[in-house]
Amino acid sequence: MNPAHQAQLEAALQQVTGFIYPNEAELHWSILVVIYPYITGLVAGAFILASLEKVFKVKDLQPTYRLALLTALAFVFVAPIPLQAHLGHPERAFEIFLTPNPSSAMAMFGFVYAWYLMVVLLLEIWFEFREDMVRWRQQSRGLKKLFYWLISLGSRDVSPGAVAFDHKAVYAITILGIPSAFLLHGYVGFIFGSVKANPFWSSVLMPIVFLFSAIVSGISLVLILYYITTLLRRKTLDQKCLNALAAFLFYALIIDLSLESLDFIHRLYESEESIEILAELIFSKLFISLAIVQILLGTIGPLLLLAFALFTGLPNELKRLAFFIAAIFVQVGIFSTRWNVVIGGQLFSKSFRGLTAYKLELGGQEGLLTALGLLILPFIILYVLLKLFPPWDDARTDTKPTEG
Amino acid sequence: MKSGKIPNQVLQVGFVFLLVGTSMILVRQHFIPESFGELGHYRADAVGVIASHEIQFAGWQACMECHEDQVAAKNNSFHRTLSCETCHGAAAEHASGEAEEDPPLPTGRALCLTCHRYLVSRPTGFPQIIEELHEPAKLCHTCHDPHDPTPSERPESCSGCHAAIARVKAVSHHAPLDCEVCHEVAPEHFLRPRSNIPRKPFERAFCGNCHAAGVDTPANFRGVDLTAFEVPKVDQDTHGGTLLCWQCHYQHSPEAR
Ligand code: HEC
Ligand code: HEC
Ligand code: HEC
Ligand code: HEC
Ligand code: HEC
Ligand code: HEC
Ligand code: HEC
Repeated sequence: MNPAHQAQLEAALQQVTGFIYPNEAELHWSILVVIYPYITGLVAGAFILASLEKVFKVKDLQPTYRLALLTALAFVFVAPIPLQAHLGHPERAFEIFLTPNPSSAMAMFGFVYAWYLMVVLLLEIWFEFREDMVRWRQQSRGLKKLFYWLISLGSRDVSPGAVAFDHKAVYAITILGIPSAFLLHGYVGFIFGSVKANPFWSSVLMPIVFLFSAIVSGISLVLILYYITTLLRRKTLDQKCLNALAAFLFYALIIDLSLESLDFIHRLYESEESIEILAELIFSKLFISLAIVQILLGTIGPLLLLAFALFTGLPNELKRLAFFIAAIFVQVGIFSTRWNVVIGGQLFSKSFRGLTAYKLELGGQEGLLTALGLLILPFIILYVLLKLFPPWDDARTDTKPTEG
Repeated sequence: MKSGKIPNQVLQVGFVFLLVGTSMILVRQHFIPESFGELGHYRADAVGVIASHEIQFAGWQACMECHEDQVAAKNNSFHRTLSCETCHGAAAEHASGEAEEDPPLPTGRALCLTCHRYLVSRPTGFPQIIEELHEPAKLCHTCHDPHDPTPSERPESCSGCHAAIARVKAVSHHAPLDCEVCHEVAPEHFLRPRSNIPRKPFERAFCGNCHAAGVDTPANFRGVDLTAFEVPKVDQDTHGGTLLCWQCHYQHSPEAR
């Protein structure tokens, strides 16, 4: 055996308790597989938030609508990268488009993803921004002009009729988009929930729990982004919008918590043979990341903070700060939710008699640095997108451009 | 835009989708191998490619012609399920008489230890040794013929394969009891252990044969005279509730005092 691997294995073995099978000492799904559901969740959540404004006509959320769409886009570009980086032969992943195997849930992800990116997100954003792109093209010079021309596909028509059509198209796509976003993240839960052999994952509730945690994470991310971008642009925050965001975050958190509790109680009541090792897992290896970070800091804490800020007569400045802090904690909580599912699910032996440990590397293809890079990448993409397609109301069409 | 006409932007987007769609179809046509799907979800031509690989392994039947002794020895030994080439490496070329060199003789300890080093996950009864304790620094084949590995002093009893249990029992209160007192073992178990699994006691009354209060210590229990021992007695109906005795006492090394 390669000495480096041996040293690694030895370090892992020191952490093993009880009896485990020989192939369980090392975890196969690393931190990259934690990041993948985390990022897809943010995509689905941000999109569902955007559709609240469009389909359910929550007017208060209007200032975040376009920001939410671009956020979803920036993150969806990065969503498959952790999986690719996790593969030994990333290039083979494209085979699923050439010769799709319909009985493989993993293969179907390619199609769900392609559908969501191409048909839902890009189309919606294109119709939403088309009018502005035409105007930006008229106002810019050189390469930038060429870029807007290309990206608007040479479109010029900004007559009221055409713009009205855009709005209708956006509406229709959003309606199509909601089930698609549900599918995208429900699918991720499905992948875990359908692993029969793993009692920690195998649960029909998994897709639904994933979905609601996605909504929670998406709303809180957009809240954070709206807060920060507005402050950076030295504009005033729209208190009504923040209130609405915080209220939705609050309700989504309650549903999320209830679903997770339901799952938990259900497992306790069923008390299958795995329950003892799962209890041991939760009280030893996962205690900090599950009980403290996910439940206490990531769910109960933000719930109390949000409730306090929403339903008491706190001054607006403090309210906003409370929302912001709650949203940050929610992000930390959701990340540890993903961690607990992906890593936690691999920490116990299939013999139900022992626990292993996960040793996170610093460098390397699946190390901490790669993971951090992949978490920062969507923000860089988002920055570029925000520069190219400013979603702010003040950047929008105030003077209608002339035909041509 | 006039009503009733397809709006411009739909045409533009449609054009892009058409472009992406057709290029995907072209790419697929170019990259999907022709024979894909003919026989199943794979490239049918792969079968031909694999079949055309040069044959490396001959199988033990091929060795019979020239190495009758080894084949006969192996096929009647504990190694009967192994193939010759498991240890000697691929030898098709040699078997066809074209090889310049003879197949290697794997005489080091390492090869044997791949299978016989003690590992918890190996099934009970599989012959295992702790390398450092078992004749260290001597080559295995000096004592075990690889083709008939039964040790020179063939263990007459169960300890050859159930050494751990035998060792524990030898120093326990049950030391005077042979394994056969509690297990009915067919002689075939020594040859094909897994297809002739011995019987294990399955009820409390079995231990009661010797330990139930009111039952005299048997002078001949399956050939063992126990009168010399002080067999401790318990009330079989109440002692330990309804649990099986070996849920509390390890049968191969019972402890109570
Ligand atoms: C056509 C006859 C023939 C066949 C078939 C054959 N062998 Fe041999 N084998 C020989 C001969 C001849 C030698 C050389 C004997 C010597 O050097 O004493 C030899 C030598 C060997 C040796 C080395 C013996 C030593 O003392 O170095 C091994 C090991 C061996 N064969 C294994 C195999 C295996 C395994 C097979 C079946 C896959 C096989 N042989 C099939 C004829 C054959
Ligand atoms: C468990 C591993 C193993 C298997 C299986 C095995 N051999 Fe061997 N064989 C050896 C080793 C080790 C030696 C060297 C023994 C020695 O030098 O004393 C050897 C030696 C030989 C020799 C040299 C002559 C001798 O007997 O020492 C021949 C020929 C041979 N094997 C043929 C075969 C054939 C044919 C088979 C299949 C029927 C076979 N072997 C199966 C390990 C194996
Ligand atoms: C000096 C002679 C000698 C050498 C060298 C030797 N053994 Fe043994 N081995 C024996 C004897 C004698 C027995 C039977 C008595 C016993 O069970 O300890 C035995 C028993 C075994 C058993 C059955 C043990 C059990 O408890 O079920 C295995 C397996 C075994 N040997 C493998 C090996 C391997 C592998 C090597 C080389 C690494 C090796 N032996 C080297 C003499 C030897
Ligand atoms: C050739 C090696 C060998 C010898 C000798 C041997 N056994 Fe076994 N025994 C095995 C193997 C292999 C198994 C199957 C273990 C398994 O499937 O987990 C087994 C299984 C058993 C079992 C059943 C275990 C179960 O879980 O049901 C008993 C009881 C047993 N042996 C008793 C004996 C007794 C008593 C003797 C002596 C009379 C003996 N064996 C001799 C190899 C051996
Ligand atoms: C006092 C009676 C008794 C004697 C003597 C005894 N056994 Fe057992 N043995 C049992 C009982 C009872 C079980 C069943 C335990 C169970 O079902 O969990 C058992 C189970 C086993 C098993 C399967 C479980 C295991 O622990 O791996 C093996 C193998 C075995 N015995 C081998 C032996 C051998 C070899 C000997 C002699 C060295 C022996 N036994 C002597 C009572 C006995
Ligand atoms: C064939 C008779 C016989 C059978 C059957 C038998 N035992 Fe025993 N047992 C003995 C004898 C003899 C002793 C005491 C030996 C001595 O220490 O003097 C003993 C001792 C014990 C002891 C006392 C140990 C101590 O610490 O003193 C326990 C407990 C025990 N047996 C449990 C069992 C169990 C459980 C079974 C059923 C799997 C069983 N026995 C089956 C003969 C038997
Ligand atoms: C619930 C666990 C349990 C079960 C089941 C159980 N025992 Fe015990 N047994 C004990 C304990 C604890 C002791 C020691 C304390 C005592 O003497 O009561 C003991 C003591 C004994 C002794 C020694 C008594 C003495 O006087 O030294 C024998 C013999 C014995 N058990 C046999 C059996 C037999 C036979 C069975 C099945 C019929 C059995 N036990 C079932 C727990 C159990």
